[in-house]
Amino acid sequence: MKRRSFIKGTFALATIGLLNPVLFRHGLSATEEAVEMPYAELLNDYLSGKKAEDGSSIMTLNIPEAPENGAVVPVEVTINHPMSADNYISNITVLTTKNKANKAVSFDLTPASGMAYLYVNVKMGQTQDVVILAKTNKGKIFKASQNVRVALGGCG
Amino acid sequence: MELRGTVKILDQNYKVGDVVKAKIIIIHKMDTGFTKDKESGKTFPRFYMKEITATYNGTVVAHFELDVATSQNPVLQFPLKVTGPGTLVVDFVNSDDDKAQKSVAIAPAG
Repeated sequence: MKRRSFIKGTFALATIGLLNPVLFRHGLSATEEAVEMPYAELLNDYLSGKKAEDGSSIMTLNIPEAPENGAVVPVEVTINHPMSADNYISNITVLTTKNKANKAVSFDLTPASGMAYLYVNVKMGQTQDVVILAKTNKGKIFKASQNVRVALGGCG
Repeated sequence: MELRGTVKILDQNYKVGDVVKAKIIIIHKMDTGFTKDKESGKTFPRFYMKEITATYNGTVVAHFELDVATSQNPVLQFPLKVTGPGTLVVDFVNSDDDKAQKSVAIAPAG
């Protein structure tokens, strides 16, 4: 009988162990370090009172419209703009619109870059827009965006 | 924690004056602070790659500020105008202020 009760005991323990995460998943919610970054706030910070010009004519975006997985969405942007010492693109920022934290990357360029180009992998929780903002050294801001359909979200 | 990352030049047979593309790959988590562990129910703290600076022969040529909407194990490509032989040094800093440095030689042909 000793052996049987031992087996029973182990099975019982294993079952409790399996159920535990289900029982306690909603019990703990410590999100003290999570910082939400709404898209509108980030955009206003970037524009800082100025108006964005339509940059779709000078920007070439290479973003898949329906990527397989929202966790890795390749974003490639080439901006047709001179990169001389006194007139160049000084910053390219990639934002998403409907993630909880929407800032992907801010890239500072110099005339030593030679061209305005950036490739970055972005993650997306749902179907939304990718917004590319570019700033010249004279303070002009260009904006372009593309909708991306995400079937499988890759964002917590 | 040791950071794993690499930098390389994508183009081959480039000359002085050409614009080449450099690629950075970092093996790093990009935890948003919203995700929960399915097993324990604990929230993963916000932990991500924060800052990348590329220096070419002493001049900063590219500076990235990453945030949590970048995918896990970020891949970045950026342009660089070749002005002569030298090294491209890339510094990584994550949100815990761990640092790493990688470099690649730039050797234009001819």
